[in-house]
Amino acid sequence: MPLYFIDTDDDVLTVYDDQGQDLPGPKVARDMAHLVLPDMARQKLPDSDRRTFKASVRDESGTVLYVATLTLVGEWKVEPPAS
Amino acid sequence: MVPTPALSLNMLIRKLESISRLSDEERRAIERLPITGRHLAAHQDIVREKDRPSQCCLLLEGWACRYQLLSEGKRQIFSFHIPGDIPDLQSLHLKVMDHSVCTVTQATVAFIPHEALRELTAAFPGIAAILWRDTLVDGAIFREWMTGIGRRSALEAVAHLLCELYVKLEAVGLARDHAYRLPLTQADLGDALGLSNVHVNRTLRDLRDNGLITLHGGKLQIDRWQELTGLCDFDATYLHLDRGAV
Amino acid sequence: MLHDLCGRTHQVSANEDIIGEGERPENVHLVMEGFACRYKLLSDGKRQIMALLVPGDFCDLHIAILGEMDHSIGTGWGCTCVKIPRATINDLTTNHPRIARALWWATLTDEGTLREWLVNMGQRRADKQMAHLFCELLVRLQTVGCADEDSFEFPISQSDLADTLGVTPVHVNRVLQELRAQNLIVWRSKRLQILNVERLKAFCDFNPNYLHLTRRANGDSSE
Repeated sequence: MPLYFIDTDDDVLTVYDDQGQDLPGPKVARDMAHLVLPDMARQKLPDSDRRTFKASVRDESGTVLYVATLTLVGEWKVEPPAS
Repeated sequence: MVPTPALSLNMLIRKLESISRLSDEERRAIERLPITGRHLAAHQDIVREKDRPSQCCLLLEGWACRYQLLSEGKRQIFSFHIPGDIPDLQSLHLKVMDHSVCTVTQATVAFIPHEALRELTAAFPGIAAILWRDTLVDGAIFREWMTGIGRRSALEAVAHLLCELYVKLEAVGLARDHAYRLPLTQADLGDALGLSNVHVNRTLRDLRDNGLITLHGGKLQIDRWQELTGLCDFDATYLHLDRGAV
Repeated sequence: MLHDLCGRTHQVSANEDIIGEGERPENVHLVMEGFACRYKLLSDGKRQIMALLVPGDFCDLHIAILGEMDHSIGTGWGCTCVKIPRATINDLTTNHPRIARALWWATLTDEGTLREWLVNMGQRRADKQMAHLFCELLVRLQTVGCADEDSFEFPISQSDLADTLGVTPVHVNRVLQELRAQNLIVWRSKRLQILNVERLKAFCDFNPNYLHLTRRANGDSSE
C-alpha cells in the first residue's frame, strides 16, 4: 500500500507528518484529513473569533494531493461590554 | 434535613435480588441494618473528593451521580445512580474518596455505617459477593462510557445512554414499556458524555424528529426500541443482569 | 502461597488475544512482563482501548464473578502472563480474607483509573490527556519496578495510542510533535522519556490520588 502523509496546521503550529501511513488510496487519505480536523478544533476552541484548521495529504514524492480546511469565523452582532 | 420516619430497605433488597436471589436470613439481616435517613435537596453533595467517610450512602428515592470537577471548572460525570444503588460503596475499601457524589434530584438516602456493612458482609459472604459483583458492573459501565466518548458519534452515545438507563431502571422495577422519568438536564448528559449541552440538545432533537423517542415534561418514551438499540449498537451484556448465579 | 502461582507463565505473542469478548475463561490472567490492553471493537470497525495493563495487573479477575467477558483483552506488543485457575482464585478469596481484600482493592483502583480516563477523554484537551497518560504510566510502572525515574519501555504504536485517547492517529502524531517541541518528552526506539517529570505533571494537572498508592506501597489494608 502506498504511503501518505497528513500535514496539519492550526494557525499557530504547523506539523509535518514524519511517520506517514500505509493507506489503500488517496480517498482514504482524504477521510483521514477530514477526521483530524474536529480533533484539532476540539483542542483549540473556544479561542479567538478567527481560526483556520488545515489538513493536507502528501504522497511519497512530496506532491500535495488534497487540502481540507475548516474555518471558524465568529462575529459579534452586539458588542459585548468591555470586561 | 429531617430524618424520615419510616425507611424501608426494600429498594436495596430489590436491587440485590436483581443480581442474585437472597435467602430469607440474608433479607432479614439487611432489614436489620442500622440506618440513618436523610432527605436531600437536588444538586447537593453527599460525599466529596478527599473525604474519609465512615458510612456508605444508599439511595432510596431520587437520582444521584458521581463526578469530578476539574481545575478549569469543567465537570465529568462518571455514573448516574437510581434507588437501590450505593454509589460510594467503594469507600468501604478505599479510605479516601477520589471523586464526589451528589444528588441529581431531590432524594431520600439512608446512611449505613461502614462497621455494620463490614459485619454484614463478613457474616453473609453471599451478600458480599453480590456487592462485589455490583461494583464490577460499575466498572463495566465506565468502560462502555469510555468507548462512547472515544469512538461513538454524539447521536450513538446519547442513544446508548438512554438505552442503558432504561435497562437499569427496568431491572429494579422502576421502568417498563420502554418509558421512564428522566430527571437529567442536557448539561448532565453533556457532562457524562463529554459533549456540550448545545450538542446534546441538537442530538435529542434529532432522535425525536426521527420518531425514536418522545421526551416531554421529564418523561422519556422510547417509541422504537429496536431501532434505537440498532442505531447505537446497544448490547446489554456489560450490565450483566441476566445471569443470576454469583 | 501467591508465589506458587507464578510457575505457570506463558508467552503471548504480538497481536494475539488473551481473551475474546463473550468468552468465559477458565483461567485468570496476571501480566508479568510487557503490556496488554482491554479493548472493544465496534461494529463499524472502530476500536477503543479502555485500559493498559502493566506487570502486576490482573486481566480478568472480575470474570470469576461476572461470568462473561464484555470486552476483549489483547496485546499488540507481546507480553508474558501467568494463568491462575479460576478455582484457585475462588479458593483464595473464600479462605483468605486478607487476599480477598487485596483483590478487592486491586479491582477498585482499576476502577479509579477508569474514572480518571473518563475525565481525560471527556474533558481534557488531547495534549494534556496524552501527558496525563504518560505520567500515570510512569508512576504505575515505577511501583512495579518497570520504569526508572523518568523513562520506560513503551512499545505501543501511534495508532494504538490514538485508540487509547479516542482521537485520530494523525492528531496523535501532531500532539506528540507539540509535546516534543515543548521539550516535555522524547519517544524514540520504543522508549518514552519524560524530560522533566515535574513540568509534565504540572502541564496536565496530574494528581495520582486515584491510584491509591499509599496502600500499594505498604501492602497493608489500612491506609
